Amino acid sequence: MGAIAYLYRRIFANRVKVALRKPVTYFYIVFILLYAVMIPFSINVLLEKYRMNSPEGMAAVLTAFAFWVIPGNLVAYAKRKGLIYRKSDIHFLFVSPISPKKILLYAHIRNLLIQTVLNMVIAILGGILFHVEWWRVGIYFLFSIIVENLLEGGIMLLLYGTERLTQYGRSLVVKGAYALVGILFLIGIYTYITQGLSLQSIMGFLHSDMVQMVPVVGWYIAVLHLIFVGPTAVNLAGTAAYALLLILVMTLALRMRCTGAYYEDAIKFADDYEEILVNRREGRIDKRLGKKQKFKKADVKYKGSGTKAIFYRQLLEYRKNRYFIFDFNMGAALVAGAGIAYLCAVEEGMGDLTPFIIPGVTAYVIFIFTTLSGKWSKEISSPYTYLIPDTAFRKLWYATAMQHIQALVSGILITLPGAVVMRMSPLTAVLCVAFYVILNANKLYALAVAEAVTGNVLGRVGKQLFQLFIQGIVIGFAFLGALVGVLVGGLNLAYILMNVFLLLATLLFMLAAALNFYKMETA
Amino acid sequence: MLEIIQLSKRYGKTLAADSVSFQVPDGRVGILLGPNGAGKSTVIKSIAGLLKFEGAIRIQGMDSKTLEAKKAFAYVPEIPNMYEALTVREHMEFIKRAYGLQTDDRDVDSLLERFELLDKQDKLGNELSKGMMQKVSICCALLISPRVILLDEPMVGLDPAAIKELKQAVGELRNSGCTVLISTHMLEMVKELWDVTFVMDKGHILGTYSREEVGDEDLEELFFQVTGTGKEDREED
Repeated sequence: MGAIAYLYRRIFANRVKVALRKPVTYFYIVFILLYAVMIPFSINVLLEKYRMNSPEGMAAVLTAFAFWVIPGNLVAYAKRKGLIYRKSDIHFLFVSPISPKKILLYAHIRNLLIQTVLNMVIAILGGILFHVEWWRVGIYFLFSIIVENLLEGGIMLLLYGTERLTQYGRSLVVKGAYALVGILFLIGIYTYITQGLSLQSIMGFLHSDMVQMVPVVGWYIAVLHLIFVGPTAVNLAGTAAYALLLILVMTLALRMRCTGAYYEDAIKFADDYEEILVNRREGRIDKRLGKKQKFKKADVKYKGSGTKAIFYRQLLEYRKNRYFIFDFNMGAALVAGAGIAYLCAVEEGMGDLTPFIIPGVTAYVIFIFTTLSGKWSKEISSPYTYLIPDTAFRKLWYATAMQHIQALVSGILITLPGAVVMRMSPLTAVLCVAFYVILNANKLYALAVAEAVTGNVLGRVGKQLFQLFIQGIVIGFAFLGALVGVLVGGLNLAYILMNVFLLLATLLFMLAAALNFYKMETA
Repeated sequence: MLEIIQLSKRYGKTLAADSVSFQVPDGRVGILLGPNGAGKSTVIKSIAGLLKFEGAIRIQGMDSKTLEAKKAFAYVPEIPNMYEALTVREHMEFIKRAYGLQTDDRDVDSLLERFELLDKQDKLGNELSKGMMQKVSICCALLISPRVILLDEPMVGLDPAAIKELKQAVGELRNSGCTVLISTHMLEMVKELWDVTFVMDKGHILGTYSREEVGDEDLEELFFQVTGTGKEDREED
């Protein structure tokens, strides 16, 4: 492992060196430490409330994790999709005289550091929150780092590296993994039928002997129960089966022939992964790993000239899309709209605050969840945008116009159901939709302002945090305006004041954002 | 020696390489020519061991998939991809360890100096321009002192000094008995280097031409004659 160990060591050391030079790293460290202190406290409250602060509770939580982690890994390895290689690995590692098995282990072990830290956190939480004896916690930690990794590594080698398994064989493994989930699901249904739905029945299901008899997943759960709860006939048998499986897998993995036939699939996955990384860096999260986007045939008639061309090109791209301009944000808006309608119809609203439920939810959805995955992030990184002979303001407007149209649709979807149930006046409903559109635009331009102000000092996440910060201030003032409006002239004035204030702030952000379109350097 | 024997490769229903066979003897420079979509990349990636294929590829008589064959083989891909968090020198050090080379720091220094990278040796992979990455990729390949080397469009992105140095390095490799296979569209750049040319189109080798056979005939002319492309342009000229 000389060359691979060198690779790990140098990449890790250089990354740490680079990170320590960035001020944002220290900000993240404080952020993580704060969370590390806050989360155990909040979890503790929950655990005490549901009386899960015991070793049995720990076994139950880890059992629930095992239900989806183990079958998920089996499926990923069988489809040759679970390991992440970068293009540099293809260039330097795949063609080198390093055994293809070692190259598989290289990708697997790359996560070892994160896994070790995570398992250490789990072990410490086990001791503090679940009151597990420390020697048991120690055994769990060693088991998770050594035994679990050996078995997972062995299964990964067998499924990912094998050259004897045909495509059909792989599909059988995938079906087998789904079958395991199916068996666990059926045991869950059986428990529900016989014991009903309660915390006690769920705990009974998670600790049941039947679950511990399910191959692979159940055997792992049996080991967990042996460690945390103590020996029973079933968990001892399950642990023995787990040990036999480990020996079998390791023997087969060591003897297996592997000449690197998996490289081709790994390269395809690496290409997809790098594309996703590039997209994420540009703020686009619409592309999914392993899914090639398909386009329909479409055309568009360009009207006008100059920067309008950007708008019509975007329209053409959306027409080629399977779902046109409809995206995840619109789905979320519809779900939120239905939720508001339900709240008003069944729960009879929220008293005096009822007229403000829609803008409140809107602000929450846009502020926290909405992703700016539209076409505009692509425009700002394209040299063609800068070469078009037009003003920076018009460029910004036409590059983002389609996003405002999408926001209008989302605004209608989030407003309409609740407005009907609340019997809102048409004017109030229109003001509600306008609030959504303006707030969405505000977020869009706040990001551009963050880019202009922070530059490369804070990095991508730092920019987003800064954007949230300035937008948070604006939303706070808008709601203050609404309060004044309610006190002075009623509901519609509140909406108007809120929208006017937001609009002014958005125009200000827009002007600042337009500066980014003068030259690419500032983008 | 590099031997390609009945190499076939399918992508779904598309046959990208159809029973391709050719060989480049020791101490010879082979050029793989073909229009876009001819199947050159498929052949090259198969030789580099990155694709599954039917047929056989032998490097110095060994199956190309064996570790022994890989030790004797170097590859310069068309688009270099560096490790973002590894410096130029660390890339070279990695290659030394991966190939079990007995070279010392002076060998690394002389290669870096030759390709004007000595002052960039502490730069990280993500700080390099495309041209510099290509130089690092070439240096890593040359460090191996390979018996067979495969260069895919090696001159793209290089400055004139680096092109000159690369041409000289290829000449030295040939003189030392190394087998060289270059895939390129920059025919002008390889006109004084080539010994044998393979013209490919639509997944087939259309013709194999040695310098002895065709004498001083222009490679470009030869390419157009065999593939039947660019005829109109030449008539207009």
